[in-house]
Amino acid sequence: MAGAKSASVLCMDVGFSMSNSAPGEEPPFELAKKVIQKFVQRQVFAETKDELALVLFGTDSTKNSLDQDGQYQNITVHRNLMIPDFELLEEIEHQVHPESHQADWLDALVVCMDLLQTETKGKKCDRLNISLLTDLNTRASSEQIDVIIENLKQAGITLQFFLPFPVEDDEESGRDADRGSPGHPGMGKGLSEEQKSSVDIVKHIMLNLDEENGLDEIYSFRNAIEQLCMFKRIERRPMAWPCQLTIGSCLPIRIVGYKAVTEEKLKKSWTTVDAQSNKKDDVKRETVYCLDDDNETEVEKDDTIQGFRYGSDIVPFSKVDQEQMKYKHDGKCFAVLGFAKQHTVRRHQFMGTQVIKVFSGKDDEHAGVALSALIRALDELNMVAIVRYAYDRRSNPQVGAAFPCIKKDHECLIYVQLPFMEDLRQFTFPSLENNKKFTPSDTQLSAVDSLIDSMMLLEEDDNGDQKDMFKVHHIPNPAFQRHFQCLHHRAVSPSTPLPPMEPWLKAALECPDVIAERCQGPLEEVKRKFPLTEVEKKKKLKTSAQIFGKDSGEPDAKMAKGDEEEDYNLADIAEGSVTSVGSVDPARDFRTLIKKKSLPFGEVCQQLTRRLEQLLSNKNTAYFMKSITCIQAFREQSVKLGDANLYNGYLQSLKTSIPNRGLEVFWDLLVQDAVTLISKDEVKGSTVSKTDADQFLVTEEKKKEAAAPPAEDTGDVDDLLDMM
Amino acid sequence: GRDSLVFLVDASKEIVIGLIGCFSFCLMMTSSHRDLMALVFYGTEQSKDPSKSFKHVYVYHDLDEPGAKRVQEVDALRGGKGAQLAAETMGSGETSLGDALWCCANLYSDIKLRLSHKRLMIFTCRDKPHEGDSVKDRQARTKSGDLKETGVIIDLMHLMKPDGFDVAPFFRDIISPPEDESELGLQLEPCDKLEDLQKRVRAKEQKKRAQARLHLCLGEGINVAVGIYATAVTARKPAPIRLYRETNEPVRSKTRTFHTQTGSLLLPSEIKKSQVYGKKQIVMEKDEVDAIKKFEDPGMFLIGFKPMERLKRHHHIRPAAFIYPEEDEVKGSACLFSALLTKCHERNVFALCRCVSRRNYPPRFVALVPQKEEVDEGKVQISPSGFHVIYLPYADDMRTLDPPQCPTASQRQVDKMKEIVSKLRFKYRSDAFENPVIQQQYRNLEALALDMMAPEDTEDLIMPKVDQMDQRLGPLVQEFKDLVYPADYNPEGKPAAKRKTADTGGGAEKKPKVEVPEDELRAHVQNGTLGKLTVPVLKEACKKFGVHTTGTKKQELIDALVDQLGQ
Repeated sequence: MAGAKSASVLCMDVGFSMSNSAPGEEPPFELAKKVIQKFVQRQVFAETKDELALVLFGTDSTKNSLDQDGQYQNITVHRNLMIPDFELLEEIEHQVHPESHQADWLDALVVCMDLLQTETKGKKCDRLNISLLTDLNTRASSEQIDVIIENLKQAGITLQFFLPFPVEDDEESGRDADRGSPGHPGMGKGLSEEQKSSVDIVKHIMLNLDEENGLDEIYSFRNAIEQLCMFKRIERRPMAWPCQLTIGSCLPIRIVGYKAVTEEKLKKSWTTVDAQSNKKDDVKRETVYCLDDDNETEVEKDDTIQGFRYGSDIVPFSKVDQEQMKYKHDGKCFAVLGFAKQHTVRRHQFMGTQVIKVFSGKDDEHAGVALSALIRALDELNMVAIVRYAYDRRSNPQVGAAFPCIKKDHECLIYVQLPFMEDLRQFTFPSLENNKKFTPSDTQLSAVDSLIDSMMLLEEDDNGDQKDMFKVHHIPNPAFQRHFQCLHHRAVSPSTPLPPMEPWLKAALECPDVIAERCQGPLEEVKRKFPLTEVEKKKKLKTSAQIFGKDSGEPDAKMAKGDEEEDYNLADIAEGSVTSVGSVDPARDFRTLIKKKSLPFGEVCQQLTRRLEQLLSNKNTAYFMKSITCIQAFREQSVKLGDANLYNGYLQSLKTSIPNRGLEVFWDLLVQDAVTLISKDEVKGSTVSKTDADQFLVTEEKKKEAAAPPAEDTGDVDDLLDMM
Repeated sequence: GRDSLVFLVDASKEIVIGLIGCFSFCLMMTSSHRDLMALVFYGTEQSKDPSKSFKHVYVYHDLDEPGAKRVQEVDALRGGKGAQLAAETMGSGETSLGDALWCCANLYSDIKLRLSHKRLMIFTCRDKPHEGDSVKDRQARTKSGDLKETGVIIDLMHLMKPDGFDVAPFFRDIISPPEDESELGLQLEPCDKLEDLQKRVRAKEQKKRAQARLHLCLGEGINVAVGIYATAVTARKPAPIRLYRETNEPVRSKTRTFHTQTGSLLLPSEIKKSQVYGKKQIVMEKDEVDAIKKFEDPGMFLIGFKPMERLKRHHHIRPAAFIYPEEDEVKGSACLFSALLTKCHERNVFALCRCVSRRNYPPRFVALVPQKEEVDEGKVQISPSGFHVIYLPYADDMRTLDPPQCPTASQRQVDKMKEIVSKLRFKYRSDAFENPVIQQQYRNLEALALDMMAPEDTEDLIMPKVDQMDQRLGPLVQEFKDLVYPADYNPEGKPAAKRKTADTGGGAEKKPKVEVPEDELRAHVQNGTLGKLTVPVLKEACKKFGVHTTGTKKQELIDALVDQLGQ
């Protein structure tokens, strides 16, 4: 009934008998009020155009249009037919109380019928309904009953009864209420004489209105509350999309498509308001454009044009040009490109966010036959139609598959979008099957086997049919439920924190209890058979580059901030005259000196290690960066010259000194950058094997006694300042 | 960080010509403009490199972002003319792979940017580039070792030559070891066709990056670490960049929120979020709005298993993802994952899970569908082993339709259609269709960037080839029509009335002005029934009462009117 409008009257008994209850039980009045509240809440949040009126009876006063000559007394029309809002909810909360009179519920029904008929005049309502909430504890005068039934039928008004006790289908149960089911709460000591006779009248009316299912519309309060706790699911009127299915140029079939499945979004979004005034007009958002210069010079939006990247170039391409040059097509289309075997269209290749069901054109039986022939032909051949689909001229065309779907009561094509070449990402992964390390043993496999057995979500019912215990498409979207729960809470009690998740919602998302219980054993077995160990998170892998935000190949540390640029040039100019390893860029100096060969290798290395020690003694992360580039340069040059001993010797002694100097942080960086010993494989003269080199970086991690940091010295900054 | 890719190409005569196609292809496919690429030839006659210290190595492009100019330059090497050009500029000469690798290492070390992914692909069809010169071989090994140590992954893209390509004696030591030992055999087969090589390049070029790493929780304390990968993502036209009209330099946009009256900037703490329901404003803090969405920490939680036929084809709401175990996070993951995969596949069941893919995302249910590894004749992996993640709809996502009652076709009619269907059979391949919209945009940009007269033509592959189809079908169409359509039936007939409105055009003008008397409007406001009025009526009403609205949505119009008249 999506989109259709209805009008309904809630008619609630507030007379004195509604407050009576057995000890320890909630009085029927409170339960009835809850039912009404839940119902109105749902209506408010569903934001349908459905209208609602509230009529109370058993009130001390009288206010209704039939009030004449002492007739229809103690019946109050609390609210006329209109779209429900929070005001109504608040009124129900604060103004609906138990009162001390009683009124004939049949009279109240008549008042409601009158209200519905007068207030829906001239409106288009396709459903009229009256919900009566009462304990039936008044003697109803039944003379008029046939007239009432006739009127209800004529006006097309449906009736629902909400009672404190359940009414059984069984003819007997009403009369023998004492024997009936005394266990049910709300029955108290059984039904009174008035109630018994009223139940008979209710049944009489309901069966007269609908012989078969009339009694299904009689609910108990408790039942109703349970059913109403769920917020209404979002419903939208399906929009028809008339088109023609074409095969080649001469075979058109009139069709109409409907969106059948699509991810539904909440209708309303949040607006930003000022925290003080709660007004959205007080807040303004504005987007400005600015040049990427130091002053962030702002430019007018009109002074900007659009462009696109083509590789690293940016190509200006105005909207007008783009519009003119863009791909254009003929609009609405559902054209068959060809037919393919169903199995070649794989489920995981479905694209897009919707499924469209395609039926034959409206009121066109010939199209119906033609489409049916296609659907059946595809079904019998196990084929699928590959089609070009375009919603309209403005939207991009798609390629998709139309599958045949034959159900008991209807036939249709199911259209899903398929990928374009550009959409696919062909990832390759190492094979799992051929990898001996990961191949599970037979006992492991059988453990998984019994897990699957115990967690099958299908159950055989009494008829031997398979029943699905967990139908996802019957679960309401929990995000929406939670959203409305919180909104509702905030609306009625604005100053309190948000409530916890509703228990029923939590339970709906969990594995069914039967399964949860049944799988305990097999799960334990899986746990035993498959050792799983969480790999120690090395407090986030960090390379020196990540810490400093630059690649470790960057020769300059962030010491000479400000005019890095100039510093560079200086160093460049200085390259020719480098005579020793300085402190600004020791790695570069080192490389230069080695290239120049003016000093012996050993000498240059010594100079470098001296600088290194200096840098490291600062124990400041900014200096570590530079140190690493030095060590990398040391390594690189040693390999180049085929002399590994000096480097290996230094690195080994550095390693042993790490704990004492409290340089673990530095060492970790070195490990991350994988700067290790030079192995035999790289330099023949090395005494270190490849495995030793790899092993070298793996320190015994236990040795983490926090060595007291040695006395800080400020390092020689003078040297550096001289350079600048 | 950025990704980088170096093509190191053997310039010996056989290889260079055919391969150029690959590179322009790769240039085009570069997923991000920020990726760096280089093209280096080795075994050339001429030498060219930034440091001028290597012989017989020709750095055609050093490591940089590929732009229009580069595409042109690579294009210039294409075809017969291109081969000639290549021969002139580079020629072929002595080969030293060691020097070439060293040169590439320098390219990397000259880059002052942070690189997240370094890949080097060697293209050759010579398995013994140095003809057995052991010194050169050793040097190449050392250099490749250096490169690999700095995190460069070296791949071999080798073409088959008449007498076979043997990886073992030399290249096995040069390239990076495969991700696992079983891949070895598979990868080292040479390609005998260029297309295969292209495919292989493409597969390697696409770096796989997990969207998220999660735990697949089978039960209390049984957590398998998996990575989620997006294997199919709707490609869109790239977003435009705003440029300053005067200089064509990109501008940045800044969005700020300020107070209308005081003009002062508002801090996040000074704003709240609100919605109106049932005429009541409901206000929440911003972090409350986020907190509402949170159900639990990210993860996949096993609910149970169902037979595959319970996975309905029409239960589709978004493209699927793919999961693969992350042995690095939880040791033992791959084994349990593999066991689960094997058994699910064997028993033809899928696993149903509740899935929270990111922080503060509400849960979705997913079907984990087992996928066994598949390889094609060229030993290229078509589908990897793992689970496809199929997202399932909730009750809210299913729309209630009222299927029309229609007559069904007779077997004769169905049989005729079967003939038609059989005539138009083809083999569907998911990568067979290019997106004409994106291709056109790309061609347009290319034309503008390279100063071409007109963009290259794009072929619209998703246009039905009507003539061919008609020809194939022949008289079948008429026969079918005779069977289902009566003689006087026009299947293309549209309701006549609709035609008319479409033809007259200019609909906006002729619409009569719609107005509602003021008291009626007020009554609507009172009763909250404004929603019954149509948008044009509401707009008219806004105008009449001088209500200024920024929005054009119905709800916005209603809100504005209620604000104005509600007081």
